[in-house]
Amino acid sequence: MRYDATLKVNGRAYPVAIEPGRNLLSVLRSEVGLTGAKEGCDDSECGACMVLLDGQPVNSCSYLALQADGREIVTIEGLAGEDGDLHPLQQAFLDQGGVQCGFCTPGMLISAKALLDRNPSPDEDEIRLALSGNLCRCTGYSGIVRAVQAVAEQR
Amino acid sequence: MATAEKPFIRQDGKDKVTGLGRYTADLDMTGMLQAKFRYSDHAHARITRIDTSKARALPGVFAVITHEDVPDVRYGPFVQDRRLFAKHKVRYEGELVAAVAALTNEIAQRAVELIEVDYEPLEIVSDVEAALQPGAPLLHEEWASYGASEDVVREGNDCSRSTILKGDPDKGMAEADIVVKERYVADMSHAVPIEPHAVVAQWQGDRVTIWSSTQVPFIARSGVATTLELPEAHVRIVVPHLGGGFGGKCEFHYEAQVAALARVAQRPVRLVFSRREEFLAPDHRREGQVLELETGVRRDGSIVARRGRLILDNGAYSADAPFFPQLAAMMAAGPYKIENVFVDASLAYTNTTPSGSVRAPTAPQACWALEQHMDSVAGQLGMDPVEFRRLNIVKNGDEGPTRQVFEDIGAAETLERAVELIGYGKELPDDEAIGVAVGWWPSFGIASGAYVKINGDGSATIITGAQECGTGAVMALPLLAAEILGMEPESFSLLYQDTDAGPFDSGASGSQTTFNNGRAVMAAANDVREQLLDLAAEQLEANRDDLELKDGAVSVKGSPTKSVTIPELAEAAHGSTLLLGRGADAVPEMPASDAAGCTGRLGMESFLAPTFITHAVRCKVDRETGVVRVLEVAAVHESGRVLNPIGANGQVEGGVVMGIGMATLEGSLLGEDARQLNPHLLDYKLQTASDSPPIHIGWVDSPTKPGAGGPKGSKGIGEPPCVPTPGAIANAIAQVTGARVHQLPMTPARVWEAMQR
Ligand code: FES
Ligand code: FES
Repeated sequence: MRYDATLKVNGRAYPVAIEPGRNLLSVLRSEVGLTGAKEGCDDSECGACMVLLDGQPVNSCSYLALQADGREIVTIEGLAGEDGDLHPLQQAFLDQGGVQCGFCTPGMLISAKALLDRNPSPDEDEIRLALSGNLCRCTGYSGIVRAVQAVAEQR
Repeated sequence: MATAEKPFIRQDGKDKVTGLGRYTADLDMTGMLQAKFRYSDHAHARITRIDTSKARALPGVFAVITHEDVPDVRYGPFVQDRRLFAKHKVRYEGELVAAVAALTNEIAQRAVELIEVDYEPLEIVSDVEAALQPGAPLLHEEWASYGASEDVVREGNDCSRSTILKGDPDKGMAEADIVVKERYVADMSHAVPIEPHAVVAQWQGDRVTIWSSTQVPFIARSGVATTLELPEAHVRIVVPHLGGGFGGKCEFHYEAQVAALARVAQRPVRLVFSRREEFLAPDHRREGQVLELETGVRRDGSIVARRGRLILDNGAYSADAPFFPQLAAMMAAGPYKIENVFVDASLAYTNTTPSGSVRAPTAPQACWALEQHMDSVAGQLGMDPVEFRRLNIVKNGDEGPTRQVFEDIGAAETLERAVELIGYGKELPDDEAIGVAVGWWPSFGIASGAYVKINGDGSATIITGAQECGTGAVMALPLLAAEILGMEPESFSLLYQDTDAGPFDSGASGSQTTFNNGRAVMAAANDVREQLLDLAAEQLEANRDDLELKDGAVSVKGSPTKSVTIPELAEAAHGSTLLLGRGADAVPEMPASDAAGCTGRLGMESFLAPTFITHAVRCKVDRETGVVRVLEVAAVHESGRVLNPIGANGQVEGGVVMGIGMATLEGSLLGEDARQLNPHLLDYKLQTASDSPPIHIGWVDSPTKPGAGGPKGSKGIGEPPCVPTPGAIANAIAQVTGARVHQLPMTPARVWEAMQR
């Protein structure tokens, strides 16, 4: 049995028909066609699937798609400006060596954005704590933390 | 003017930060089916019956295949001991018995469960020492009939044995004033890239294109060609963005099984691993080790003899692990002056998932044991552990464990700089201490090729067989070409990740990309530079010897107004002259060694362009709970000449944090039935941002002689950073608690137990 729902993703409405058991990540990746959010574990341990739901970071692999009906979803694809300009966090991740394989990057950026939205000038411990739900195997986190610090300082 | 030394932003960066870059699991195709594997139900059993009829009858199922549906071919890089699907026996829990392709993942999963397999369970061998006991059940009864490289010394469950011998260790040991003997055990661990394995295969006629999350596309291609009995020209491997590898995606994995499914189904097929599968069937995990180390020293601190017996865990089949025993034996000797050495290392088959190269294979575990052992010996001598290392670390002109004579190395400098950076000797609270460990690692010289093409507008494209798993090694190749051509690195595009495009390369393994492909790209750039100069000589009607290429233009020396830019040359060439440089560079020769007494020689008897590393860590240990917290790390590396500092620092930062994880948390637990008990990230924990300490990085600049190393005297960078971290942490723990932890990972429970002894 499928139910109709409207997912509002990055400011655009997507009418979808989905089974009640489907998680948000799989609907974003297939029906909506945005593959920026990644699946690294499927049980809320890695943060690669993170998106903003009404401004709050959630692991979309562990969130039922139907519960997101009518709510504002922001994925990594929604971070850059409309003219394609990179968000300051995106640029800082590049400048500071915060990106290697890039598989954690979408979730990391979402997590970092959520942090700066609620606390524009976090200290290093606050940054590390806020990002501790996002696993990165490549960078050792140093470049990522530097990137968030750099953006926080600009503000 | 671009130089290879200035920091540089990776070309694939924008794709990655915007979420628009595609990884293998992101690919979708019309009519695409989903694949699922049926794994073995036992770690060791004889198969008596396989019945796939119910699975085949399930609506939505397009293909169900077993060993009967693929050629009966055994494969393996050193020992050909495995098949695509189990035939008579299963030998580990993650072994493939069958594969299904169906419309959806759910249908494929149901079909997998409908496959009936009957087994006759066999005695399980999961302990490496038990595996080598006389009378132990053989995993491979027919081992003697397997094809294998000549140099692999094999016998029953011992899949590869190597010894290194220098001098007369028995006599040396007898002459020692103090002899220390210890035993260490390292548990198996995993590479854990955040992207799980994924493969998509699609046939066009009798040719197949396979998109795969592999670190080694050319090796994957030859694996598919061998096992499915196809010409290599009929197999194309394409690697979309690769979400990390660390060795876990080396070797040829599941490309052939997915291709075989797609052929039967006549549809594109996609396989995406779950995190659980990534633990159970990665086919490449870090091997467990048992190490017995014995060292004889004189009162003055000189080392007169070292004996070692190592047993490494191969798992059920041989991936690239057969060269590990020799490598581990070198690691057990370490970068120290030792007059007499004998290390005997074996690789035991067990009923567990196969081992293979994971970031600096064998080294973090062996270095963890050796560097603790070095501290123990220093303790027995009543000598400061840093002083003991200072006395014995190899310097220029010294001999290694196989009498390789070191030249142009900076090992001792890494030790000095690391202890300085961490403030060794400073006053600390009584629950904190500093531990130090030294390690080394070879560079791997392997054939590699590249083309550099000048485009019609004067921009350029590098076409390379090299692959990258996120390290930035391929991304940095334009720096090398740009400098030779007097162009900006930003004017280069890169075509890599496609076996139909670039020449052979051994892939993102062995930290070899810059080392080998860097030389190839430079050779190709030089080749096309000659072509540009030829063309410019014609255009300027000048003598070719009078020309110079600088800042994107060729001009006549001394009369700079007489010049022609690369875009102008490209335009002149367009359609008539091919501006295409080809490059391959001779592999550096292995340094001389005396390996006369060594057996099982698989290329590790000397170390090409060795890297030397010292890590010093400050740790805090909670004596009540055994919890260890790493507060600060100083990591100093001698990697020859560093070419791309942002990239190199990123490798150190990531490698150190991986090393902290290995030291304190990461290990697989096995049940009685040889099944992993923690195949998920909840109980196999990785370091998080809040666990990770500040890391102070130092580089000792010590370029190799031309021809003895990589481009500009560089050495491999990617693997060394995880080598000495666990050993340094272990030494800090022992400094605080007065107790040595003899098992890796050093979990709070193990640290606490060690304190109770
Ligand atoms: S995929 Fe959602 S947390 Fe890992
Ligand atoms: S960049 Fe690879 S996992 Fe973070």
